[in-house]
Amino acid sequence: MAYDLELIGVEKVYDNGTVAVRNFDLQVEKGEFISFVGPSGCGKTTTLRMIAGFESITSGEVRIRGERINDLPAERRPTSTIFQNYALFPHMTVRQNIEYGLTVKGLPAAERRNKADSIMSKLELLDVAERRHEGLSGGQRQRIALARGLVVEPDILLLDEPLGSLDANLRKSIQNELKLLQRNLGITFIFVTHAQSEALVLSDRVIVMNRGVVEQISEPYELYTRPETSFVAQFIGRNTNIPGRLRGRDGDHVVVDTAYGALKGCLNDDSLSEGADIIAVVPAEAIDVHQLTADRSELAERYQGNVIEGFVQTADVVGHTVSYVIRLPDDREVLVESHTEKYSDAFEAGSSQVYLSWLPNEATVIAASSKGGR
Amino acid sequence: MGNRPFLRSALAFYTLLFISFLYAPFVVLGILSFQAGPEGGPQFPIIEWSVYWYEHIFGLTPPSRVAPLPIGEALIRSLSLAFMTMVTSTVLGTMTAQAFRRRFKGSGFVFYLVVLGMIVPGVLVGLGLALVANNLGISRTWWGTAYVAHVLYTFPFAFLVMLAIFNRFDRSVEEAAWSLGVTPMRTFRKVTFPLIFPGVLSSMLFAFTLSYDEFPRTLFAAGADLTLPLAIYGTFSVEIHPNIFAFGVLTTLFSFSILAVYGILMSLSVRRARRASIQEDIE
Repeated sequence: MAYDLELIGVEKVYDNGTVAVRNFDLQVEKGEFISFVGPSGCGKTTTLRMIAGFESITSGEVRIRGERINDLPAERRPTSTIFQNYALFPHMTVRQNIEYGLTVKGLPAAERRNKADSIMSKLELLDVAERRHEGLSGGQRQRIALARGLVVEPDILLLDEPLGSLDANLRKSIQNELKLLQRNLGITFIFVTHAQSEALVLSDRVIVMNRGVVEQISEPYELYTRPETSFVAQFIGRNTNIPGRLRGRDGDHVVVDTAYGALKGCLNDDSLSEGADIIAVVPAEAIDVHQLTADRSELAERYQGNVIEGFVQTADVVGHTVSYVIRLPDDREVLVESHTEKYSDAFEAGSSQVYLSWLPNEATVIAASSKGGR
Repeated sequence: MGNRPFLRSALAFYTLLFISFLYAPFVVLGILSFQAGPEGGPQFPIIEWSVYWYEHIFGLTPPSRVAPLPIGEALIRSLSLAFMTMVTSTVLGTMTAQAFRRRFKGSGFVFYLVVLGMIVPGVLVGLGLALVANNLGISRTWWGTAYVAHVLYTFPFAFLVMLAIFNRFDRSVEEAAWSLGVTPMRTFRKVTFPLIFPGVLSSMLFAFTLSYDEFPRTLFAAGADLTLPLAIYGTFSVEIHPNIFAFGVLTTLFSFSILAVYGILMSLSVRRARRASIQEDIE
């Protein structure tokens, strides 16, 4: 069975020689929710536009359901695109907007009406159907754009930062709607965003891009807990990245030598050999903070040696989370995040010296060099 | 600025001066057009108020030593020429501006080439065109050589107007249409064109008015059958009578009515947007 969407070595090079996307390989099953994330200019939107047909493909192949679509113009591809600014037709009513794709396909009026009505009732747009969209709220407009894109029954829906211009609360609720809609319709969604939280919440798989290169393709949890490259470790989550050198294996874990002594973690790259330059990635949520009065040898035993000293620089309590910035002896800053109730005796900023510790399972050891960014 | 009375009155004086220089000639012209005829001349004082010269234009006065203005056919020619020029320049201008939405090889050069048409002195263009036509054995006519000269002149204006419109145009609306299966041609007709229509109206207005009173290019390129500005100029060489002023008043009123039509069409296409934005304010 063919994949719903397949990219084979897709590249985009602009006329002036700028490489926007390099050697992109991807297979997407029908009904998957895939997100592209990365900083602006990483090539995620360019890739989406190449799939949509708005941007030519320099080399490689894009296939939809097994069929090569490189040379099909946008209007003949089985995709619909949803834009950040909605891109609704201002001279048409909501209904006309939604029916337009069906009109040009030559569907009879009655059938158009039925299809539009059914998608509008699904997206709660029936009571604004005869209005023009300018007076409507951002959320409503986004739903109109979705209805317009979905009513033509595309194989794949392409979404280019569709929630980018909504306020935070609306974002949340539309996120949920979007997820539900995608589950119900069973259509493949390709979703471009610069907000990693959005991608992590919505997607079946997340693709992290940087400087035109795919850094990692993973399920959200995997991506969050097991970054594969130093770029992902910096971009996703709030990690502390400790540089060091790989010393050797110790059961399921590896030992690395760092400025703070020998630390343990999980190796995420079997190609690394002893002596390789590495980064130990420690998520902010994985770190426990202890008073200096604690028994260090007891801590070392409990955390299998992952104990270092530092002193509390700032402490911020926001609702039920507390975040500390801890400064290590060599001025490296470590971010720690936790539930407020975990630390009944809060550590004071500026004064307290503390122990930091984490379990080897929580730390990921990756190669120091990145794929795209150098 | 409220506490700077000097600056304030200086600016007020300047504005007043500006307005009087702008309108005084026209007012004088208007007043003199009501001079008594046929013995009254194009100067003060007004001998007697009359509409004699207006009647004279339309041939309603008894024959006198003042010949009727030779404007009947010239007016038709000028209107036809302005209309032809307007259509051609607007179509060309829109298409060229559309091409400039994507950067292409040599786009900078082509841009200056187009804009040159409004920069080069009109007399040179008219004279040059006449010489070329003569050398090639093409007879000079208002609908041929002069038409080419007018398009050459008004096309850059239409192009620049449309370029500004496309600069603010949201490309994703077109992409949305393509992604719904609408062909690029149909997208242009049904989506792009309705949205750029105010700009098209403006460039039509530009092209029409510029062509309607174009003088230097037409002078050499028009040949034997004169356009309106040439015909009027021709009457100056004999003797000036207030019938020219009367005609000036009428043609100005005509210009105003074209502006009014433009304004109505414009407000019709803008009203929708305004209505919508008011709605947005309420919500």
